[in-house]
Amino acid sequence: MTEQVGYLGIDIPIKIYGLSEKSVTIGFGTAIDHDLLYLITDFNQLLLQNPFSGLITTVPAYTTLTVFFDPLDVMLSDLPGEVCFEKVSAHLNKIAQIKREKSNTIADKLIIPVCYGGDFGQDLSTVASTNKLSETEVIDIHTAGQYIVFMIGFVPGFAYMGGMDARLSTPRKQVPNAKIPAGSIGIAGNQTGIYPMETPGGWQIIGRTPLKMFDINRLQPSLLKGGDMVTFKAIGIKEFNAYAEI
Amino acid sequence: MSMKISIIKPGLLSTIQDMGRYRYLSQAVPVSGAMDELAHRLANKAVGNDDHHATIEFTYADASFKAETPVLVSYSGDGACLVYNNELMPVEKPLFFPAGSVIKLIHNEIGMRTYLAIAGGWDVPEIMESKSTYLTAAFGGFKGRALQKADVLASGSLLSEVSNGILDHLIQRSLTYPNWRISRESLLPENKQAIRVVLANEINWFDATSIISFLTNSFTIDRRSNRMGYHLLGKPLVRKVKKELLSTAVTPGVIQVTGSGDLVILMADCQTTGGYPRIAHVAAVDLPLCAQLKPGDTIHFSETSRDEAEALYLERERDLSLITMAIGLKYIKT
Repeated sequence: MTEQVGYLGIDIPIKIYGLSEKSVTIGFGTAIDHDLLYLITDFNQLLLQNPFSGLITTVPAYTTLTVFFDPLDVMLSDLPGEVCFEKVSAHLNKIAQIKREKSNTIADKLIIPVCYGGDFGQDLSTVASTNKLSETEVIDIHTAGQYIVFMIGFVPGFAYMGGMDARLSTPRKQVPNAKIPAGSIGIAGNQTGIYPMETPGGWQIIGRTPLKMFDINRLQPSLLKGGDMVTFKAIGIKEFNAYAEI
Repeated sequence: MSMKISIIKPGLLSTIQDMGRYRYLSQAVPVSGAMDELAHRLANKAVGNDDHHATIEFTYADASFKAETPVLVSYSGDGACLVYNNELMPVEKPLFFPAGSVIKLIHNEIGMRTYLAIAGGWDVPEIMESKSTYLTAAFGGFKGRALQKADVLASGSLLSEVSNGILDHLIQRSLTYPNWRISRESLLPENKQAIRVVLANEINWFDATSIISFLTNSFTIDRRSNRMGYHLLGKPLVRKVKKELLSTAVTPGVIQVTGSGDLVILMADCQTTGGYPRIAHVAAVDLPLCAQLKPGDTIHFSETSRDEAEALYLERERDLSLITMAIGLKYIKT
């Protein structure tokens, strides 16, 4: 596989590879890392502010940013190169060379209200007993944490978040649930996440948020996006129902 | 004025699809859209539509509909043949049916999916800039669901100059269809079992024997195959690099290798990100061939280069624009 190598302003090598005739992926590193997240978020913003002719959209992930384009438009553009891969790479390398003093990423901070336990969080007791904690302690630890959204994937609006306290770490269920309701907050291994829509799933469910994590009627249908900072706030059933009525 | 049909029998899985939903991938909204984009586009072209107009994607046959008004439709694909008045209707031609006509889809053993276009496109709301149905999240298409008995579908009321030209021509001469047709056959390779692939980024994660085996052995489409992806039965591949791939963007056509070494070709409704290593991706020009594969069908992969795959794509697009131009020349008065 041929690859093009360029440098971001802060001397991080990027590696570009083709994903399909209509997309290339930029690799920024090999491990999940906060600095990498900000680097990718910055690069993404710079690219969207300085698009090339034919750019359709971008998809950030843990260590990569994938760029989708219309090959016909790219071929008609005056970017240097004989084929789309060369032309798009030339533009991406130019973006990589834009020098920046520090990260431009401004993280949105969101507080997600959660009604823990009971019918909404039937696995709260499992998480507690696995970790030799009381249910209240689980809620206290979960709400004390500051979480960061690394990427959105799996199903529309599902956020891969990092930052959960290792004291809550619980294995996935042996047998996944056929239906997990929308808004359910789950724990799987060292991760915590929110199910945006009813799907099957194997995570331990500890509570539910009344917020719509994905709503096609919003300008940004997914409530969360890469780089967002998230905290959870415990609410009671009354408050949950009050939200649900809005 | 818009044209209307009602569904008498919906068939196995009939959904409204278009060219897909690309701008919300970063929010994990899948591309969706027609599995066989070529057949979708040719059905549209045959009635004078743009490629982005919505069509109905039928899965196999066993479906029927009634024209509630006079309609100008066309179909393309290999999952069914259209029958009207006991007569087999030709593919990739505009077809005019008077109000009250009943059209049946009968078995076509070649493939799986058939696209029905109507002049003006099927009129459903745009959700996130596309009319495609995404059943998992129940949005897009006709009320976010598959078509059911008694559903009434209408066309967009704005007809292109070409659509109007075709309509006038057929009505004035009392014809069901004209003597010209588009040839999808001429756009497709002769050997439909040979799927061209471009090797992927993680190719070196597999041992040499496995790569050779991938490019020489046959694979059979498993029953666990749907609009999200095709599971393939065949000799499992062996990995030499055991590390985990961190989830990264994938796209229809990408071939993932699961933990057990089995292959999955991602299709239209695939997730936007995946964590399985990728051995190759199907050349865009051969993805329509994959869309017509049925469980039990056998394929093999042949390697092509990234640049060759792009050249084939650009050539296909040129051919398609020539088809549009040729149809336009017949009906646009200059």
